[in-house]
Amino acid sequence: MTPLDVFLQQIVNGLTIGMIYALIALGYTIVYGIAQLINFAHGEIFMVGAYFGLLAYTLIQLLPVGSVGFLFILPLIFLFVMTLTALLGVIVERFAYRPLREAPRLAPLITAIGVSFLLQNAVMILFGPADKRFPSLIEIHKLSFHHVTITNLQIMITGFSLILMLVLHTFIKYTRMGKAMRALADDREAACLMGINVNQIISIAFLIGSALAGAGGIMFGMYYNTINFHDGYLAGLKAFSAAVLGGIGNIPGAMVGGVLLGILEGMGAGYISSEWKNVFAFFILILILLFRPHGLLGSRVVKKV
Amino acid sequence: MKKLLTFSRFKNLAILLVFFIFPLIDRSPYHIDVMVSAGVFIILALGLNVIVGYAGILNLGYAALFACGAYLYAISNIHFHIPFWTGLFISGFGTALFGMLLAFPALRLSGDYLAIVTLGAGEIVRIILNNVDQVTGGPNGLLGIDHPTFFGLRFGVKSGPYYYLIFVMVILLVFFLKRLESSRLGRAWTAMREDELAASSMGVNLMWAKLTAFGIGGFIAGIAGCVFASKQGSISPDSFDFVVSVMVLAMVVLGGLGTIRGAITGALILSLLPEFLRGFEMYRMLFFGLAMILMMLFRPQGIFGEVRYKTRFSSGKKGRFSLTPEARKQ
Amino acid sequence: MKKYARQPTNEGAFVKRIHFVLIGSVLALSFTGCTQNTSQSNVIKIGCSAPLTGDQAQIGIDTCRGAQLAVDQANQKGEVLPGKTLELLELDDQHNPAQAVNVAKKYVSDPDVIAVVGHFNSSCTKPASAIYNEGGMVQITPASTNPELSKQGFKTFFRAAATDDVQGPAAAKYVASKLGVKRLFIIDDKTTYGKGLADEFEKEARKQSIEILGHEGITQGDKDFTPLLTKIKPMDPELIYFGGIYPEGSLLIRQARGLNITSKFMGGDGLATPIFIELASKEIAEGTYASMVGGDMRKIPSAAQFIKDYEAKYGSMGQWSAYGFDSANVVIEAIRKAGQNNREAVLKAMREIPVFKGVTGEIIFDEKGDNKNQFIGVFKVENGELTYVGPAA
Repeated sequence: MTPLDVFLQQIVNGLTIGMIYALIALGYTIVYGIAQLINFAHGEIFMVGAYFGLLAYTLIQLLPVGSVGFLFILPLIFLFVMTLTALLGVIVERFAYRPLREAPRLAPLITAIGVSFLLQNAVMILFGPADKRFPSLIEIHKLSFHHVTITNLQIMITGFSLILMLVLHTFIKYTRMGKAMRALADDREAACLMGINVNQIISIAFLIGSALAGAGGIMFGMYYNTINFHDGYLAGLKAFSAAVLGGIGNIPGAMVGGVLLGILEGMGAGYISSEWKNVFAFFILILILLFRPHGLLGSRVVKKV
Repeated sequence: MKKLLTFSRFKNLAILLVFFIFPLIDRSPYHIDVMVSAGVFIILALGLNVIVGYAGILNLGYAALFACGAYLYAISNIHFHIPFWTGLFISGFGTALFGMLLAFPALRLSGDYLAIVTLGAGEIVRIILNNVDQVTGGPNGLLGIDHPTFFGLRFGVKSGPYYYLIFVMVILLVFFLKRLESSRLGRAWTAMREDELAASSMGVNLMWAKLTAFGIGGFIAGIAGCVFASKQGSISPDSFDFVVSVMVLAMVVLGGLGTIRGAITGALILSLLPEFLRGFEMYRMLFFGLAMILMMLFRPQGIFGEVRYKTRFSSGKKGRFSLTPEARKQ
Repeated sequence: MKKYARQPTNEGAFVKRIHFVLIGSVLALSFTGCTQNTSQSNVIKIGCSAPLTGDQAQIGIDTCRGAQLAVDQANQKGEVLPGKTLELLELDDQHNPAQAVNVAKKYVSDPDVIAVVGHFNSSCTKPASAIYNEGGMVQITPASTNPELSKQGFKTFFRAAATDDVQGPAAAKYVASKLGVKRLFIIDDKTTYGKGLADEFEKEARKQSIEILGHEGITQGDKDFTPLLTKIKPMDPELIYFGGIYPEGSLLIRQARGLNITSKFMGGDGLATPIFIELASKEIAEGTYASMVGGDMRKIPSAAQFIKDYEAKYGSMGQWSAYGFDSANVVIEAIRKAGQNNREAVLKAMREIPVFKGVTGEIIFDEKGDNKNQFIGVFKVENGELTYVGPAA
């Protein structure tokens, strides 16, 4: 392997994990943009998504479809999991955040932490504390260019994430609902006066964010092949950092932030030292925030007196 | 009004008395030890309350300051044989300095961006403690830290002396914080918390206000760390992870932001609750999470928090106009 | 802070209630303590403390299940002491040293608790051992491998596991002599266990004049190790040694094979478990080496029986289940020998047990409480099963 091969390989690795970070980061960013709320339980929803994926896979195994081919079954699993996590997100919002809509800003932060304890331990009790093997779901093929290996799974993760992001972008930009979301993000009271149903829109934000986290959860499981009830913590923390890095509340920002974080921390771990990997992630974050206090793509909010 | 005041003073004395005689009635070392652990968290909650409650800066990395205090005492004790009482000052002032250093990004950032920087700093500190083996002992941590002695009385691993040490410390802290609340600095913090722009146009030096908040918050965390290290006799990075930061924050918010009795009550509840839930073992943290949600839904402003009312449009059902509590600006 | 407008609430009453609840709960805590101290019950409790919730819950639960099995079997065989039944009191320390101290105090203050199996992590065992020493209570750790622990001079401290400074060097000797490896790369998970093992391995490997291409840490709980592995790939080591446990171990080997790294892979007893093979998949785990205290368990009849009983009750075995089982059995043996449920007598009996034949091999305590039998065996994954290949040194 030449140094160039190593470099390209690092980019490929970083890009894949970065895409998953980006998918989770989108959930943080949409919710934050609309409800000004850091949904600390989001990482756990991602983790629950991975477990739902395993559940769906086990269920499908029981069905007689057996060898119909996973190209057909895969979308089914994604649909099943994204529906369930979306539902879970809406339920969490309804019971843990909505009653606190008018409460002091930190109150929902504490319920979020509570929800996160609850989900983590519920999964631990239901599925057991051991790491679970997650199937790849598709047959893995390695493609080698010189010494750089890319798998079809990595291409699929990148492609599918991009499609999801594009769909989301179109939704926010061009639909009526998306317009309502943007209005709400801009000025909640004015939007309210214009007849926008605040509760409904916030629910939808949670629904979208959680569905994306669910998709991220399955891809995470397929890529690493083991899942654990504790996975939501670190992935959630990184994704949150990615969202802030790109400018929280900003959708393209979350994508850029996720991919950038994935690649940069991979570079740091690969070229400097892997035991400092997480330090790089947070150090980059702090450094960028020092020079761009509202993230890479975040816009400065003009203060009005 | 006067009658009410005397009643509340009597009540405070009664509470003090209960806590004072507690170890005398209950000689179970386990119960006293649980109270000592809770006491460390009370000190931490009082410190974080300065940063989050008074100055309104969301800090998600408070464990870093706690760790700083603990390691400062541990290192100075092991390498330079500094006794506990001197170590207390080293930890306190050292951590205050460190806190002010961390506050530098705070001067440029605001709101949740700042929160994530404190979170990142907290993680960085923990990883540094884990990786710099030569100084901190890496994942093994440091062991053989001296227990305090007081005029020949050796504290050892008994819980009683630590209980009274923390008891006295909390009283002193509460007295100090009460004075601070209504001081010029305390009022500057309140102004800054409510509206930075307005505060700075009224002549509040924002930079100074933020630095002192981190400094004083850091000082208190440093003391807590020093007591913790001296009681444990050994420390390792395991004790200072993100969960600690989150728990201390939850204590402050649950008790009611910006209130001293709130911080104390929150710390007591959240550190005693898991002990009461022992026996459920695997389900313990599940119930704990549930309890946190319920408590917050029941008292959104925290147990001793105040609700402020202000006319505004409701964003609630059907767009009715109504009086709703205004979200306290963070 | 002035209120803008006051809404009629019963704020005062609420606050008063909170005070009552708090004082009440403190008093309740104190009274439960008083009643406990005077109870004369007919149970003998053995404590078992390990992380039972949180990210290390699995290994903690595995350990305590082993201990539970020992207690159940002892009760089935008949009363250990006349009129008394044994009971395992499991308490969660969340691998948090402060919690471990709380747990230790709880055990010490409960007069029914005679001895403790625990704790799991060295960082927890360390502060807790001081408390047990103070309370004169036998503590036997099934898994804490830090050599420093037994150097504190505590009479109550015992250890069933081998220390890092035995297992690491033995593995290094094996690598040098039997596998003939000349160049290797070391990875550890930056925990007390993993790093301790890897450091001791490195020291001995250097003595054996093996070329160390590098020694790097990873973060426990992380999933993506491809950056490090990509860096290792061009170095082309003959063997990668991993100090850590199976979740990261299985990911490491999967990702290494994914990058077409063909080096041999070796670890300590953290990898010597069927779960490692299951997570990494049989094809990928094939050929992995793991060192472990004791020889081929399946050759010892009592061990084979233990594995059967354990699997019938709990499903597949964790790598520390056997240590939990042995630790609890040593304690039970000591109680039987002492003939009374008295901490001091049990401590004395514990010291007088000459040789205990456990399922992990013989346990012989030296004066520091360490296990003198430090026989290290090497296992290899063959046809998807952990197979004993011989002694390490």
